Amino acid sequence: MNSLSRRSFLELSTKLCAVMGLSASAIPRLAAAAEELASGQASVLWLQGQSCSGCSISLLDAEAISPVQLLTRYISLTFHQTLSATTGHQAVDTVNKTIAAGGYILVVEGSVPAGMPKACMFGNEPFGTQLIRAAKAAKAVLAVGACATFGGVPGAENNPTGAVSAAQYLKDHGVGTPTILIPGCPCHPDWLLGTLTHVLKLGIPPLDALGRPKAFFSRLMHDQCARFADYEREKFAKTFGEEGCLFKLGCLGPITHTDCALRNWNSGVNSCIRAGAPCIGCGGEQFAAKADMPFITKRRAAAKPA
Amino acid sequence: MSKTIELNPVTRIEGHLAIKVEVEAGKVVNAFVSGEMFRGFEKILRGRDPLDAQHITQRICGVCPVEHGMASVLAQEMAYHLTPPLNGILARNLIQAANFMMSHITHFYLLSGPDFVDVAMIANYQGSDPALLALQNWVKAQLSSRTIVPGGPFLPRYAAQYLQDAGTNFTVLRHYLEALEMRALAHRMGAVFAGKLPHAATLVPGGITEKVTALKISEYRSALDILRRFIDQAYLPDVAAVAQAFPEYFMVGKGCGNFMAYGAFPLAGGSETKLIPSGVLMDGKLQPVNVEAITEDVGNSLYSSTSGRRPYEGETIADPDKAGAYSWLKAPRYNGKVMEVGPLARVLVSYQGGQNATLKSAVDALLLNLGRQPGDLNSVLGRHAARALECKLIADQCAQWLDQLTPDDPAFTDFSPPESGRGHGLTEAARGALGHWMEIGDSKIRNYQCVVPTTWNCSPRDDRGVPGPVEQALIGLPVADPENPIEAARVVRSFDPCLACAVH
Repeated sequence: MNSLSRRSFLELSTKLCAVMGLSASAIPRLAAAAEELASGQASVLWLQGQSCSGCSISLLDAEAISPVQLLTRYISLTFHQTLSATTGHQAVDTVNKTIAAGGYILVVEGSVPAGMPKACMFGNEPFGTQLIRAAKAAKAVLAVGACATFGGVPGAENNPTGAVSAAQYLKDHGVGTPTILIPGCPCHPDWLLGTLTHVLKLGIPPLDALGRPKAFFSRLMHDQCARFADYEREKFAKTFGEEGCLFKLGCLGPITHTDCALRNWNSGVNSCIRAGAPCIGCGGEQFAAKADMPFITKRRAAAKPA
Repeated sequence: MSKTIELNPVTRIEGHLAIKVEVEAGKVVNAFVSGEMFRGFEKILRGRDPLDAQHITQRICGVCPVEHGMASVLAQEMAYHLTPPLNGILARNLIQAANFMMSHITHFYLLSGPDFVDVAMIANYQGSDPALLALQNWVKAQLSSRTIVPGGPFLPRYAAQYLQDAGTNFTVLRHYLEALEMRALAHRMGAVFAGKLPHAATLVPGGITEKVTALKISEYRSALDILRRFIDQAYLPDVAAVAQAFPEYFMVGKGCGNFMAYGAFPLAGGSETKLIPSGVLMDGKLQPVNVEAITEDVGNSLYSSTSGRRPYEGETIADPDKAGAYSWLKAPRYNGKVMEVGPLARVLVSYQGGQNATLKSAVDALLLNLGRQPGDLNSVLGRHAARALECKLIADQCAQWLDQLTPDDPAFTDFSPPESGRGHGLTEAARGALGHWMEIGDSKIRNYQCVVPTTWNCSPRDDRGVPGPVEQALIGLPVADPENPIEAARVVRSFDPCLACAVH
């Protein structure tokens, strides 16, 4: 068994509660979860479809639970295309062995080319087929990132592969495994870690009508925005780098349900709106979907002084 | 009698890559490199607002989003006749540099490391390092547990010869754990000006949306100090240690021998001088890059588009069932020639040009230290060494860029997007020369083409049947055990392939 003390489990769990916005009463249960996980009971299989690996990269940027802690104390990661030592036929065997054993958590990143199966292959098998096999044998599915939840850029208008989100693909194929949608482009590491740990010990967290964990996606970005007072006072930035609310530059904060404005990114160092960049709604269900819905509303520049 | 070996999928790279090699008498006699995933970004971009491009194209890749964003804003700046203020140029350098450091450190430790480091040896660890002892406990617990894949994701792996010397092995393994923190720190540092990473929020034509303040400069600098220490004290010595333990990898993985760099990181002073210069090394001779010489063949690619077009006129029409085609990658060529891009190409172009004395002496010192000739750099270990040297070069330069920033001066030049125009943006991603070509009409994107580093390196055969750089690097490679073809994996990974980028 792991050398970790009960005390260190409690410390980790306290951190985790803070990430998830849970009350302190959940700490003992989470500590038990972490102990159970360390004994190798919580297997996680991570598959990538039409993805950019951005959500994997984002997870590696996590601070609340560091990647080393995650891999050695929380989960047993049976396979991940970017991290696994195994390669080639051995990798295919490792995935299939996991599926045969069943009972794991499946994390899926990316969309499925429903209209062009050959546009995403894993070991000579179309990704869609592999996904269905893997999801059927899983205890729960975590669809992670814009592409896996709502289709993202690969599923946007005019896409040539008939891409749909992994979550939608499973629904269309009648796979009934509980599926949680954790959007974002990329997915914020806290959103994923908070949901994953909740699922492991406390079960499926409260979800909204779209299947997103309420803890992270129930409030409008706009309502929590540091520039909200500027909006109220009708002080609007007219171009980039200016003070004021970014609404007139096309900011989608008023229709996007994420907690970025309070949580911030990369260990809290910054976030889009804080950095003067209008929210592009990457956590929303319509992210990038329509060709005629530009991210930025750019007016002509004021005439330059001669 | 030849035997076909498939590495399908190749893991520990970005994305979906499959390799097929034919082995005869213990040597690779033929190789096929296939990109296995396609999304159609170039088609999705058509008809959109040009200002969407830096956001959409960043989603091509979660490892090199910044560089796609940069190529896109550079293409737009050419089309808009726009130049950012110095603060904007330097802050973008700092964002891109942070992403390079993240990528290079990730590549050596997380992606390539498990090909050289012996994780299983941790069972015999006798030292007192808390992180290694924790890892030892974890591995022991895993191996005696009933978990589905004990030791995952570090096991299983190919049966092969890994680092033999315990001291070196444990040092590199300890640094693997540290590298996980360092790569996250590099992203945190970049996010100071990028808003967030991956997928930077602040990149726009004309500069960045974020402000340059004294506090932000200090935030970046304190992270940079820690990263520079890691690069100097861990990354560079570890690459040298691996090179000394596996000297045979200076002799294998020789690529096509022609190299190209577009250059990146403009230096202050308003000149065209860049930290990483551009250039083409053709048959050993250095020449300037001629953008007109770039074309893409699709004869062996899964497209029905016209072959051999220049990017401005390029097409992307998928044909998943095309007979004989074996990859979703196109085959970019320069004057019809196969080119290798990446850190090795950049270092060789810069070394030959001699513009950067610091780089030149660093390369000479490394070669002297390892008892190698410049010609040995065209190899598996040469690519790792070039990546590490470049990482240091960039990290050190960041300190000067921070000094050159002027707090509270603008980082953005305003502009009026024109209704029509065209431009291309050439820069470098961690894994090589990256170009975006954009045509605007009626204030919409009319055509958009990306020619990406791994498209060059992992390209399939062109219309004349000439194999791409990785294919060429595999041909002739000795493979001892067809069941455990680690030699092929090491060659492929030395190029740091990024397939989501390559196909897009």
